[in-house]
Amino acid sequence: MSHVNTTTFTIVVALFVLVTGIGFAASRWRRAQDMMHLDEWGLAGRGFGTFITWFLLGGDLYTAYTFIAVPALVYGSGSIGFYAVSYTIMAYPIAFIFLPRLWSVSRVHNYVTPADFIRGRYGSRGLALSAAVTGILATLPYVALQLVGIQAVLTVMGVGADSTNTYVKDTPLFIAFVVLAVYTYVSGLRAPAAIAFVKDTLIYIFVIVAVFYIPTRLGGWSHIFGVAQTHFNSISPTTKKPVGTFIPTTKKTGSTQLDFATLALGSALALFIYPHIITGTLAAKRRSTIKRNMSLLPAYGVVLGLIALFGYMAVADPVTKANVTKAGNPQLAVPYLFQHMFPSWFVGVAFAGIAIGALVPAAIMSIAAANLFTRNIFTEFFKPDATPHLQTRVAQWASLVVKLGALYFAVELPHTFSINLQLLGGVWILQTLPMLVFGLYTRWFHRWALIPGWLAGMALGTIAAYKTSTPTTSHWASSSDIVFGFTLYIGITAVILNLAIAVVLTPVLRALKVPEGPDETLQHQYTADPEEAPVPAAAGVGVGSTATASPD
Amino acid sequence: MAQPPESPGSPAAVPVPERRSPLATHPVMSLLIAVLLIAMIACTLIVPIYARITPRIGDFPFFYFYLLAYMPVVAIALWVVYALQRRLASQDGGRS
Repeated sequence: MSHVNTTTFTIVVALFVLVTGIGFAASRWRRAQDMMHLDEWGLAGRGFGTFITWFLLGGDLYTAYTFIAVPALVYGSGSIGFYAVSYTIMAYPIAFIFLPRLWSVSRVHNYVTPADFIRGRYGSRGLALSAAVTGILATLPYVALQLVGIQAVLTVMGVGADSTNTYVKDTPLFIAFVVLAVYTYVSGLRAPAAIAFVKDTLIYIFVIVAVFYIPTRLGGWSHIFGVAQTHFNSISPTTKKPVGTFIPTTKKTGSTQLDFATLALGSALALFIYPHIITGTLAAKRRSTIKRNMSLLPAYGVVLGLIALFGYMAVADPVTKANVTKAGNPQLAVPYLFQHMFPSWFVGVAFAGIAIGALVPAAIMSIAAANLFTRNIFTEFFKPDATPHLQTRVAQWASLVVKLGALYFAVELPHTFSINLQLLGGVWILQTLPMLVFGLYTRWFHRWALIPGWLAGMALGTIAAYKTSTPTTSHWASSSDIVFGFTLYIGITAVILNLAIAVVLTPVLRALKVPEGPDETLQHQYTADPEEAPVPAAAGVGVGSTATASPD
Repeated sequence: MAQPPESPGSPAAVPVPERRSPLATHPVMSLLIAVLLIAMIACTLIVPIYARITPRIGDFPFFYFYLLAYMPVVAIALWVVYALQRRLASQDGGRS
């Protein structure tokens, strides 16, 4: 524990203790009669209104990784990092179109996960399994990245035992994590929803203060942009190419406008089909709650745009730049910037905001992955007669396993690896777009056509991402690849292949009279808006297909 | 196919077995909603519109100003869409 600033440390610890208390107390919030039901533990009783949903989804969409990695990308590469702003802009109108339909049909049929819907829509356990596996695969590295976010803050704070053993060095991270795991186990989705209030308050405070204050220290916005422009246009001595781009270029390869647009579109399409975002959505009380939130959440996007600009502030501040270069880790740009710019008590507030900003989504993500495992793997394939009580117990344990796995990722693997895995996670989750989002509108696709499409998309995406390289990294270097001479986001090329295969195979399978499978959903259920939460079904997955099982 | 149970305890869900297509009953309003949603996506997807340094707005290069200013515009536009849909629904005596 060397060079730890006592004030900063005390404030971070105090705020951490506060949210821990809230996390445990949350189990009593809106208490249901029987907490041992997935609708309660995993979806908090499906009763959140506009206000709570705003905090929950906000806490879910904008993670610690966002606060660390987006400015880090801007710091390292310039304008391409702003694709994050462009994609959050696009994500809301896109989600406004399809998310209310998913909410309605899930409400009517008591679906807990996106894979539950796919099972009900296509009557296929296999297709649902592919969606569930994709969801879990994509979520794991995302949870790990939340830990990387906490680690970045801890590193700059100087917290961590002076030891070369990673497990000793990361003791504070372990403590934070065990606490998170325990209150998620106890309180379920109620915990992150309650903690999100604290998180958002802290983040709004530090972002607004930073955006107004830091430029005055750095000679104003024109100076910040000027330094950034000069910096990114300068030629790097190692690669003999410009360090980055200040504005997306019109060239064919590199940080081009096309790359920017496809990255933004692909990420926007992927954002609201991530299981943890769907979990947050399904916890909403009414259909209108979703629609209202799509127009209220962009307020958060403004904050994201400002956060991205922290990357340029870090470039313009010589002290921060020197610190980051010395550490050799651009992920530390924002923590170092704050440490240099602010008095230590305010650094404490900001760092606590980032760390708590990691806990909220990490909890929701592990709950979402646990729900997927429980509903679409455990109950579906191993124990079809699992009671709600058993399902909840399994989900609680699964959430612990997910977190342990993520902890392993964060501590054992090099950080660039987990970041690239997360980028790959976006490519993967996008492959569930045809079955999930298109499935909300049409039953035209044949279920056995969607599976090969999904498989091809996953394979192409993974291989293409593996083959990307830069002068410094041999594999997994980027989420964009050159296709027909143009730089494109891999997720987009993979999902196009995925769709093409599904479109070609569907008429073939239909001509061969391969069974279509039952569809338990009805047209009007996609626009339904039941006031009361559905009465929890007794057991089994996919209500319709097990409709013979009498409600308890 | 097993008939799925109507969601129990929700009388609101029962009376609309066949919804009229809003497109057929309100073509102009529906078109307006569609145009708004598509325009919102297109104006950020088509990067050449804003990938430029000038004109500077204050100290901000155009690219950065555009992206920052877009967010509140999306919020307002989506609220308008939501309000329009509600009006359609209430005219039909249905729900949003």
